[in-house]
Parts: sequence; structure tokens; C-alpha cells
Amino acid sequence: MTPPPSLLTDFGDVQVPLLAAMLLGGCASKALRVVRGQSISAVLGPTVLFPVRLRQSVAVGLCIAELAFGVGLIATAGRSLGGASAELIRFGTGLLFVVATCALIELRSVRPDIGCGCFGEFSSAPITGGIVARSAGLAFAALAIVKLPPMQLPGTVNRAALVLLLLAAELAALAALSPELREVLVRIGYSEPCEYRVLGPELAVAAIQRSAQWRKHASLVVDGQPTDTWRELCWRYVVFPSRHRGRSADLVFAVYLRNRRPAVLAVLVDSATGAVLPWPSDAAAKGRRRARGPRARIASPARTHRGRRARPTPPRTYQPEGLSHFLARSRVLARVRHRGA
Amino acid sequence: MGCGAGNFAAKGRDQVIGTGVCCERCPGATVAVTSTIARRRLYKAAVFSPPPPSAGRGWVAHGGSATPAHLYRVVTGQIVDVSPQVLVLGDASGERRFVLTPDATAWRGGPLTPSALRPGDDVVLRLRPGSPGIADRAWANIGRVSGTILRQDDDALVVSAGATWAKAATSPQRVVVIPPHASGRIQVRFPNLRPGYLIDVIGVQRGGVLQGLIPATSQPPYRSDRVPVPQSASGRLPESITGAAIWHDSADEPHGVLGVRYPALDPSNGCAEDRAAGFPPGHAPAYRDLPYLAVGSSLLVANECTGASWTFPITGCAPVARLFNDRCLTCGTSPRGRVADLTLASFVALGGELETGCFNTTLTIGR
Repeated sequence: MTPPPSLLTDFGDVQVPLLAAMLLGGCASKALRVVRGQSISAVLGPTVLFPVRLRQSVAVGLCIAELAFGVGLIATAGRSLGGASAELIRFGTGLLFVVATCALIELRSVRPDIGCGCFGEFSSAPITGGIVARSAGLAFAALAIVKLPPMQLPGTVNRAALVLLLLAAELAALAALSPELREVLVRIGYSEPCEYRVLGPELAVAAIQRSAQWRKHASLVVDGQPTDTWRELCWRYVVFPSRHRGRSADLVFAVYLRNRRPAVLAVLVDSATGAVLPWPSDAAAKGRRRARGPRARIASPARTHRGRRARPTPPRTYQPEGLSHFLARSRVLARVRHRGA
Repeated sequence: MGCGAGNFAAKGRDQVIGTGVCCERCPGATVAVTSTIARRRLYKAAVFSPPPPSAGRGWVAHGGSATPAHLYRVVTGQIVDVSPQVLVLGDASGERRFVLTPDATAWRGGPLTPSALRPGDDVVLRLRPGSPGIADRAWANIGRVSGTILRQDDDALVVSAGATWAKAATSPQRVVVIPPHASGRIQVRFPNLRPGYLIDVIGVQRGGVLQGLIPATSQPPYRSDRVPVPQSASGRLPESITGAAIWHDSADEPHGVLGVRYPALDPSNGCAEDRAAGFPPGHAPAYRDLPYLAVGSSLLVANECTGASWTFPITGCAPVARLFNDRCLTCGTSPRGRVADLTLASFVALGGELETGCFNTTLTIGR
């Protein structure tokens, strides 16, 4: 005879799907590595407590155990396969988490530098107390429901609400204890700032050659081949050889690696002394003739291609860029390829 | 084309091929890199804050060219004479005498008293901050080999100190011998001493061979040509980067050079090893959550264990450091792997103990 529903049975009903989800999620994340052609044991975790020759076998065995207990918990949750088999599966699940907790404690003291590997590559952060507490809590939950009667759907709205409340509370507790959640959120909200993007010098040179700075000072360039180029965070610097009053000079451009209207700065430097040189008057005059109005006035060595005084984002200021900039960059790339062809 | 400059070619108007600033593999790279660092700093300063034309500025590298008073200084040389109070170093330019503090310690494969050092030992001497003639620490014949095992010849390991281990002809090779009394200690941390796996050991240099005594880290479980794909970065660039700082033992660099190698140089003109190994730009194994910088960029490196910090110039890429995904355990666990590969002098200046191999660090860019 099924006992009447109580808070304890509601608590137990929540544990079974949660435990199954944790086990199957752990197994799936490990299997995902195999699908991607990576070693299942490379995730490390407690497998490093074993000799090298046994690590692969232990990792595979752990994955199989997680799969078996996860499926078993779901299969024995109802009335059809309940009874002794359900108790055995739940006890086995509890035992697995107890062993895992002990292994994590040991691993934390022996190798504090590696992750638990609980959810594959998402669990690469060093083991924290939260991870150990999570494993211990799951062990407690599994052992607490060994004698639980078969699951049944909530009969009333109040009971359904209570079950949902318990589920939400437990999910929140698990999320708070899980560093993996942060990794998942990072991947979902993936956007690559310009500091991390691979952007070749050709884009910067194309931006320079489109800029008003280039139109003003191109006459100073004695060789179209840059003598040096380097990139620092979101800025790329390009140096062209130049001449100033018969002396060797360097024309330095700095381009902000942005797709729409990148800021382009320029300065003329004496090659021998490193002194900043004033722009030659004839070049400035040419620039004034080509550009119209105050936008092309040259009063300072550093100006944007639009003629206004440069207000570059300082190198220490970082601006993440979103999807629109990716799309804009694609258009720039397409234009560059078209022109190159 | 020479190193450091004049190594950029343009084809036509839009197609540009950057062959880049050469790294530590070019002959005479030290001079070229120093010149590059100075010029790039000046160019950058001129672009963002142009001084008055009358001011005039010379090609002087600021920061990293001198050790401040509150940091340790390093002197290297060969011991000519040693007593419990005085240590005499000699080189081609003459002899220098250093007073040893009463609590001075030494290392040659293990801790010992300074008077146990022998004439002829190559020693790295740490001088007290602000006291140029007083030494409190000495490391004799210390060396470090970090790289991919190329082959095992009897009891010797031939190690490639570059990412191009498969094309060994292009990368320098180091020989490591692990003596029987250190074998157990090494193999606990480096169980795979087979070709293709990584090794990082500290020991005593004898001739051209390193006697490996101390494992500097734990061996990654993967081969060096199968480095796991690092996670991509997202969101805002953090104000500082935390991780592990290590030191390297490079025959290409003179002792006393202050600088840092950085694992994420701009792929288009960064690491000579990447091009030699045939990696397309951006596809070499490297941290994808480190911002791209270049030779000449400045890094404020802070030792989280001692609190010391100083700004060093980036002098090259760290082709081996980025293959490790380990953690430094010197004072707590570093939140990530190797983010800075310091020269020996820089490591000691920040208070690092050479035999421990690493310290937890925080990097700040562009100061």
C-alpha cells in the first residue's frame, strides 16, 4: 500500500530526476570529449589518483557507472521496476557519490591544481569546497531516498507547487556550488573582444590607406613597405620609412582594430634621435587642399582620419564588440578581398 | 632581412605579408630585440602623447633596463674564491668581491652553506635590495630544461626547447640526465619519459648536460603535439591577469637581462616556432583568453608571494610555457597556468626562488 504523500516523499520525488540528470550530464560531458577525438582521461579528476596505465580504464568505468545509475534511477522510479531493484540502484548511486566525495577530498590535498572532471572540460577549475559539498550533498540525497516509495504525480495543485518549489531551491543550491555553471554561461554568451581576435596586418594597412591621414602624408612615404608592424591589444602600429628635410624619418601610424571608422593616428619621428617632428608645411598644405574646411587642419601630429582631434581609446581601455561589429568586419573583409582580386 | 626591423613585406596595395619580428631564435636577437623594444615604446608614446617638437627624445628603453632599489639584483659569474664571509666572482673583466650575510644560504643540487661552494662553480648571486655589495643567496650551476622529449638515449633525455619538436632541426636541444637518486622523485611527477611528452626539470648544469634533480611541475597527460584546445575568451578584458610565472634558462640570453616572454604574442608576427612548425596565424596552441601583445609591450609583473612588482618589457614568445596547463603551488594554487616566462634575473629580482621554479603572479598590461 502506498503511503500518503508527505514532505519527505515530495523531497524524495525531486531527488530522483536531479540525481539522474547529474549522472547522465557527467557521463555525456565525458563522452563528448571522446566524440571530439580527445582522450576521456585527459579531463583528469580523480583518475589521476590511479597509475597511468589504469587511468583510461577508470575513466571509462566511471562513465559507464554514471550512465548505468542514471538510467537505472529513471527506470526504477515508477511502480513497474520499483522495490528491491530501485533500492539497489539508489544505494549504489549513494555509494558512488560517497566514493566520489572521498576521492575529491583526497585529490584536493594531493593535486590542488587540477579540476574535478565531474562534467568533463567544464570542470577544469581547481576543486573548491563547494564541489566537495555538492558531491556530499548528492550522496546524502541518494542514500536518503533508498527506501522511498515509487514516484507518483502530484495529486493537487498545492503539492505540485511544493514539488516545484523544492526543485527550484535545490537547483539554486546546486548552481551556487557549481563552478561549471560559469563556464556554461561564458560559452552561451560568447563574444570575442578585439584584444583576443586574430586580425592580420592587412586589415590595418587597408584602413590606413583609406584614411585621411594617409592622403595627407602619403607623399612623405619613401617606400611602400612598412619597416615594422606590431599589435598591442586593440591597436596595430605600422611604420613606414620617410624623409624630413633631408634626414631619415619614420612615419608611424596607429590603427584601432575596429571595423567601422577605425581611428587612425599618425606621427613623424626622427629616425636618428627619436624626436617627434612637425609635419612639413608642404605636406600640410597639400592636405588642406585635398580636404575641405577645418576637418583637415593639421595642428597636432596625432589626428584621426576624419580630421578631428584624435581622441583614441587609450590602450588601457577595452571595448568588447558585439555581433554588429562581427558583421561589419565581414563586410570589410569582403571589400578587401574584392579589391585584392 | 635582419631581425627586429625590415622584416615586413608588402605585395601590391592590399596584400601584406608580415614575417614579423623575430624571436629568440635569430642570431644576435638580444641586440635586435632591445632596439625593437626601445623604438616601439617611443613610437607608441609619440602617437598617443606627442611631446613638443623641441623636446627631443632619444632611443632609450625605460623600465626594465634598471633594477629599482627595493628589488633584488642579480650578479652571475664564476667563483674564484669563497669563504664564510666573502665570495669572489671573476670573469673576463676582472674580479668582484661580495660580502655574504650571516644568514646567507646557497644551493647546488640542494641547500648548503655558502662556504661549501667551490671555486669554478658558475653562480647566480642575489644581492640585497639597496646593497650592491652584499649577497644573501647563491645558486651554483643551476639550470632548467623545459620542453618536449625528443628521444631517450640510455639514461639521457634529449629535449627540444621549442614547439617544433617534430622538426627538431629547427629547435635547440638540451640533454638531461636523471641520476638514480632523483629518478623516483622525477618519475612521480613525470611518469611518461617517452618521446612527445613534456618535461620540466631543474637541476645542476655539468658541461652541456643538465643533471635533473627537481621536477618543476607535474607532467601534463597529453603529448605536446596534442595540446587541448584552450577555451575562448569572452566579455571584457580583465584589468589584470593572474596565473603562474616561471623562469627560463636560455643560452641565447646573457644573465642579468630583465624581461619576460609572453605566451600570446600577436600571431601575425609573433613566434618564430609557430611559423617553423607550419601553424597558420592564430592556430598554434596558445592561451585564447590572453590578449595579444607584441615584443616591446610592457607588463607589470607582480609576485603574489612576496608582493614585489616591476614592469618588464616583453622580449619574445614563450613557446614551451604555453604548452603546459599546470598550476603553480608555491603560495596557494595559481588560478591558471603559465602566463609569464621570466628571465632568470627578473625572476630573482621579484623574490622568486629558482629551485621552486614558479610563483603566483598578477600581470597588468601597458603600465
